Amino acid sequence: MQGARLPSVMLALGLALLLWGSYWGLFLAPRETYMGDVQRIMYVHVPTAWNAMLALTFAFACAVLSLLRGDPRWDARLEAALEVGVTLSALLCLQGAIWAKPTWGVWWDWDPRLTTTAVLVFAFGAILALRQFVDDPVKRATWSAVAAIIAYADVPIVYFSVKWWNSLHQTQSSPETVSRAFHWPLRINAFGMLFVMSGLITLRARLAALRQEEELAGPLPAAAPRVASAAPGAGA
Amino acid sequence: MTASGVITGGWEFVWAAYGVTAAILIGYAVSVLARYRAQRRRRGEVRP
Repeated sequence: MQGARLPSVMLALGLALLLWGSYWGLFLAPRETYMGDVQRIMYVHVPTAWNAMLALTFAFACAVLSLLRGDPRWDARLEAALEVGVTLSALLCLQGAIWAKPTWGVWWDWDPRLTTTAVLVFAFGAILALRQFVDDPVKRATWSAVAAIIAYADVPIVYFSVKWWNSLHQTQSSPETVSRAFHWPLRINAFGMLFVMSGLITLRARLAALRQEEELAGPLPAAAPRVASAAPGAGA
Repeated sequence: MTASGVITGGWEFVWAAYGVTAAILIGYAVSVLARYRAQRRRRGEVRP
């Protein structure tokens, strides 16, 4: 199969980069003046945030292309990007809570950045749940694409929330807002997370495509007798 | 945190954040791989 090993290569490369970047961030990078060692959480938190937003932006693009072209491959990619995006966004909230406790004194606060991110997790998570309840593949693709486009409106709100409203959360982390001493572990982990995210989306999209093929082909021959015998009154 | 506003210690939070990250990424990757292999097995592409 062409490119069969691509997800494994991306996952392995991503893992290697994450190990290297995390080692640098944990043991080699200097301690931050005010936050001390707790700031080292940034080296996983910020790359997770960037890649969660990227995965959901890819989901948005897949949703638009799925609606425009009606090609089931874009629906498979949408499903993959949604699941990976929701997983990374949920992980982002957990990392943020762990960082918030020693710096803000609380695990959670209904701050604009945190609240809009929680809305993001629930909105895109709800689309994944919706997909489980729709049997018709065409309706499922259309409804989830429309819902993903609507839910995506929250992504720029999450990004700009720290500028638009008074927020406990610091402004967006970028090379301009982060000391040069912290750049390299942050960049290495950002690329590591990018490869992991891309590998997971590629593999998950292949899984979704296999399920689509099975759905279109109908039940497998081996599964057919079991379905028949499970029907009410069957075998009576 | 001292009166100077500087946070001291806190390594337990750092390890917790990295631990949660590793657990979720590895757990999710294993879940996707297992579902992918199971789906291919259903199609007869992979021997059990």
